[in-house]
Amino acid sequence: MSKRMKQTFKVTALAAALLSVYGPVLAEGPENSVSIGIGNWSNDRAQRGIYDGMRDSGAYGLLDADILKRDDATGTWLGLKARNLGLDNREIKGEWLRQGDIGGSLEYSRISRDQPFIYNTGVQGIGTTTLRVPTPSITPGTGANVELGTTRDRVTAKFFKNLGVGLNFNVSFRNETKDGTRGWGRGGAAEFAVEPIDSTIRLLEATLNYSRDRLQLSAGYYGTSYDNANSMVTTSLTSGASPYFLSLPLDNKSHELFLNGGYNFTPTTRGTFKASYSRVTQDEGLGNFGGTASPLAPPNLDGRLDTTLLEIGLTSRPMPKLSIVANLRYRDFADKTPVRGIVFNAANTPTVYNTPFSYTNAVGKLEATYRLPQAYSLLGGIEYNAQDRQVPGMGTLYVPFRASLDETTYRLQLRKSMSETVNGSLAYLHSKRDGSSYTLPGDTLEDAINPLNIADRKRDKWRAMLDWSPMDKLGFQFTIEDAQDKYSGMVGPYGLQDGTARLYAVDASYQVNSAWQIHAWYTRDKTTAREITQRDGANANPARDSGAVAEADKRTDLSETGDSLGLGVRGRVSGRLKVGGDVESFRSVNEYQQSLTLLDGRPRYQSNFAGTLTVVPTPNITNKLLRFKLFAEYAVQKNADVRVNLIHERWSTDDWSWMMFPASGPTPWAYGTTTDGTTVTAVPKQNSTFVGIRYIYRFQ
Amino acid sequence: MKGKRFGGLVSMLSSIVFAGAFMISSGFAAAPAQAAGPGPEVCKNCHAVAFESYSASKHSTKTDPRSPANAGACSTCHGDGTAHVKAGGGKGVGGMVKLSTKSVAADAINKTCLNCHQADPRRMHWQASVHAGRDVACTSCHQVHTSHDNVRDKLTQPQVCFTCHKEQRVQVNKPSRHPILEGKVSCSDCHNVHGNNPKQMERGSVVETCYQCHMEKRGPFVHNHQPVTEDCTICHQPHGTTIANLLKSRPPFLCQDCHASGGHPVQAAGLPTGRTTGTSLLGTVGRGCLNCHTNIHGSNSTQNSATAGRFRR
Repeated sequence: MSKRMKQTFKVTALAAALLSVYGPVLAEGPENSVSIGIGNWSNDRAQRGIYDGMRDSGAYGLLDADILKRDDATGTWLGLKARNLGLDNREIKGEWLRQGDIGGSLEYSRISRDQPFIYNTGVQGIGTTTLRVPTPSITPGTGANVELGTTRDRVTAKFFKNLGVGLNFNVSFRNETKDGTRGWGRGGAAEFAVEPIDSTIRLLEATLNYSRDRLQLSAGYYGTSYDNANSMVTTSLTSGASPYFLSLPLDNKSHELFLNGGYNFTPTTRGTFKASYSRVTQDEGLGNFGGTASPLAPPNLDGRLDTTLLEIGLTSRPMPKLSIVANLRYRDFADKTPVRGIVFNAANTPTVYNTPFSYTNAVGKLEATYRLPQAYSLLGGIEYNAQDRQVPGMGTLYVPFRASLDETTYRLQLRKSMSETVNGSLAYLHSKRDGSSYTLPGDTLEDAINPLNIADRKRDKWRAMLDWSPMDKLGFQFTIEDAQDKYSGMVGPYGLQDGTARLYAVDASYQVNSAWQIHAWYTRDKTTAREITQRDGANANPARDSGAVAEADKRTDLSETGDSLGLGVRGRVSGRLKVGGDVESFRSVNEYQQSLTLLDGRPRYQSNFAGTLTVVPTPNITNKLLRFKLFAEYAVQKNADVRVNLIHERWSTDDWSWMMFPASGPTPWAYGTTTDGTTVTAVPKQNSTFVGIRYIYRFQ
Repeated sequence: MKGKRFGGLVSMLSSIVFAGAFMISSGFAAAPAQAAGPGPEVCKNCHAVAFESYSASKHSTKTDPRSPANAGACSTCHGDGTAHVKAGGGKGVGGMVKLSTKSVAADAINKTCLNCHQADPRRMHWQASVHAGRDVACTSCHQVHTSHDNVRDKLTQPQVCFTCHKEQRVQVNKPSRHPILEGKVSCSDCHNVHGNNPKQMERGSVVETCYQCHMEKRGPFVHNHQPVTEDCTICHQPHGTTIANLLKSRPPFLCQDCHASGGHPVQAAGLPTGRTTGTSLLGTVGRGCLNCHTNIHGSNSTQNSATAGRFRR
């Protein structure tokens, strides 16, 4: 759901209080401080530790620093910020600047991501571009355990120089290498494969900014590149049979020139514009697909994407009670890659072509806010989006396409602000999307579906927020959101029919006295989706698919319901001792209700599905996370504290994505039948406790 | 059809031009003059904490000719305090301005800040942003009198955003997510909340924003998957979901929102009793449809296969 209708509230004491509750898991030190310590997780955290560098049980070093100094005489700042130096996801940033004149920074950051699953496999060559899948299959569980994951190492350098007379020059450069492995598939069959990841992203942005009196201008260059060390993975069975060649993303780069600006015609009227032009190219060789490659396929794609953006806007307050925002935006994304045959038949006639897609959007927006008495205001707006879309002219279509889409959105909002006790808003959005007739694939079923991103759609959204402070010490915030989408189409009945999203949230904060504070919140969110399609009974391979099944109208009702809450307390026991504690709970239930209306006498389901031939369950999935956090911080001296953190984390799921369901009971998922045998095991439960202690030294 | 569609835009353009002409000719206010005042040394007698944070901030750097330290210090933002001091202080006495949305209109607060900060290209389009249009003030998110502005620290920034964006507060705690809680990805990595791009994205579109980190999805590919080239959020919810890889829904349901090809693509969901190679049994478990259609974001295969365009190689 789009969030463009989101209204916002002011950060109040309530927000500040909530911030202290849901801040970092591990305390960070105050500015101009260094902290050093040690912590220990009691058990592995396969799911919750995928990003924080503390997935495995054991001890970790805790080392952070945040130092910022100014030389008053020269206005020179020197900063050093380091986080997680004892962990795998460490980062460090150094900054130097002579304020208003010249400066720069250099930053290193690592993001590690570990797959939460245990892979037991006999596949050979993991991490390389040559994979061999066991044939015959290994006995599931008898292979070697492998861990998959990626690491991003990012280095960012920034520099600025004030050139005088309103001119500033800024340049930033980022180099990011990504290494590791990712779970993949062999493509030709449901066999395990691993994508080797060894790529580098680079981004360079240089801008010259001008600001003087009423005028601001920003002109510059933005260039990017993607370099992949590998272009293809060769896979086969260990016998050498069934060679499949899996393509990888190829090197590409982009260059963009832009000019943005703003001009204050009057103190209350401002005009703005944006103009940019970018070109992406991809011309790396398409690789050697062995004897399976199309001999007439082009050696490279000559890929080219040109994007043009033009925008003008005007904002004004023509009278004290009325403010207006008007905007026109044109964006043309043109895929200028030549269309050529990729796959050919025996007569050397192309049957598969490359598939460029282009889009042109023209968006007009007009919004007005009128100030009513008693700090009420009323907002009304309209936005019109006209989109032209490319329909492939060559090759096979697999879904219906539309050459144009139009969407009109209306907004209305009533706000109350500037009150010490009650502020709030009530907003409504209605939008309607339709478009040109469909270009159809020519298949009975494919012709009858309305793809969700181009289907006719009506959207209605409500949002109410109330910020209530009945007394200085007590504050509440209430939020209700409701969104409804209804899809339809001119083609047939299949596809997404409708969707809903509802959210109810309440936050509260109470300042008990000058030393103690309590905060709490609860949120319930629910989304639903209803889909209709027709299950095709004429499977291509009834024997492999465990029997032919009945033709059936299929209806699926999907839903996700979440209940989340938090409770926290902060207090100062004495002049030296601060304590706090939090409880957070997140629970979500996903439901997959599927019903079939049979259209012939064949079986309802394949015999190889769990359940029975008449009822096949796709059980609900419940995810739960419960987190307790306690801390105590004691001032051992004027400029030094000792902080103790205790975290207990409980996470569980009954997600069946990586499971099989034989009559004897669920087992980990295993790839292949006569080949492979790789198993994937998800850890359904994790309970772990962290105890950490750190010494924090503050520079005076 | 096209004429009608663009006719609507032309009408809107006419309205905007008309409105613009009206606006330009009817500006009603003058730029506020920077006020003189008693100076921070006087203010600190009563506002010691605020003075302390001011003194440690960039606002107080005297060698920077642009800083408030050279333009009236406290009075640059809070107004001339002469009458306030003369009256012996007091809340609002002497016309002092406390930049709080409980007492001052958001656009008035913002105007104070933008007097200096509009020059930043990231804030050049603030007035046309959704936040500005909804009466969000700079001080709604930023704390000026502090040594640590939470919204400018990627570890604490999301908590500020969650003050209003409750749905995202829940989503970032779901099993499939970006490393937001760990402070490795922050809201402002993807959103320029001071700008007016669609969905307040950091760059001109959703895909261009995502390519900053996921450039391998940019292509162009030999076989492009149409939604990938249009908008990542057609299939992904970047703030967090219960489905692997930030998918909005689980295969085969997600795929069946667009695909109804005969045979296995329209299979019913179900859980296999054991190992299988049946394509009509594999759309729900493991990677779902992606068990075989593994290069779903696009493929560069020239393999001579009728299914080369279906992202299996």
